[in-house]
Amino acid sequence: MITQMQVKGLMFDPYNNAYIVILRDEDQSEMLPIWVGKSEASSISLALESVAPPRPMTHDFMKAYLDAINAKVISVVITDLNENTYYAKIHLTYEDSEYTVDSRPSDAIALALRSQAPIFANESVIRKQTSEELDQWLENLKPEDFGKLDS
Amino acid sequence: MPEHTSHTAGTLIGLTVDRVVEDSNTDTRILVLSRIDGGTELFTVWVGAAEGESIRRALDTSVTPRPMSHDLIKSFGEHFGVKTERVVLTDVKSSTYFATVYLESNGVTRTIDARPSDAIALALRCQAPIYVTQDVWKRRSGQNLDAWLSKLDTKNIGTQEV
Repeated sequence: MITQMQVKGLMFDPYNNAYIVILRDEDQSEMLPIWVGKSEASSISLALESVAPPRPMTHDFMKAYLDAINAKVISVVITDLNENTYYAKIHLTYEDSEYTVDSRPSDAIALALRSQAPIFANESVIRKQTSEELDQWLENLKPEDFGKLDS
Repeated sequence: MPEHTSHTAGTLIGLTVDRVVEDSNTDTRILVLSRIDGGTELFTVWVGAAEGESIRRALDTSVTPRPMSHDLIKSFGEHFGVKTERVVLTDVKSSTYFATVYLESNGVTRTIDARPSDAIALALRCQAPIYVTQDVWKRRSGQNLDAWLSKLDTKNIGTQEV
């Protein structure tokens, strides 16, 4: 089973010096946090805010590459999580054929947002994530960490 | 310079990525390119840290556990049978370089506007040649860069290990 997810926002994780993309399902009952690097977070943020930078950033270039050859992103799926490594699949059409390409969720999400393509997650991933990583991370958060988000 | 079929062949200079220099104080990397015809003058481009590291990984042919962004673009090409034919640094405006990526599939060539960093990160992964136009070569920034770079390298050796 897969669930369609929306990108709700980005948070900074001071422990890992990384960013978290927050995905939620449509009825807001499930949440999937995905840890991403700084440049990927920045790219996702630009797409969320529909900001067009003066020069194409890497995912804008990726989108331009697909546009140039008339390939289309149909959907992306966050498929698996193994020992903190994330897996996603990008589904595309090119010259009347369908293709599935392995990627990191961060690239898949950054590309989906620029392609108006839906983002899905496997239910097994949602369950694994919420039960393990996020609970642990939230438990370890101290009040002072929240201050850093605004600084 | 290897021959290719473009009508602009005579005006292009082939480049190879010499190294990626770290600038420890900023979020940038300095990409140092040299001429493949043996000329000793260098061509430098400031790129973002993430793009610089992507180029460094391509130079080292190091493999990450998961595909990084430029590996993914290469993977699209492999899936579709689209070849990255060459990249050309085509223009410079207000110290910003512009690049064009040439794609080829089924005998049709298509071009994409790109930053030099993305273009070169992809070219290195696809064994595609990198060129600069004579015009952009003449207008490249930085005089006495050799001396400046060697100074920077020495400084960085001292500070990187801290």
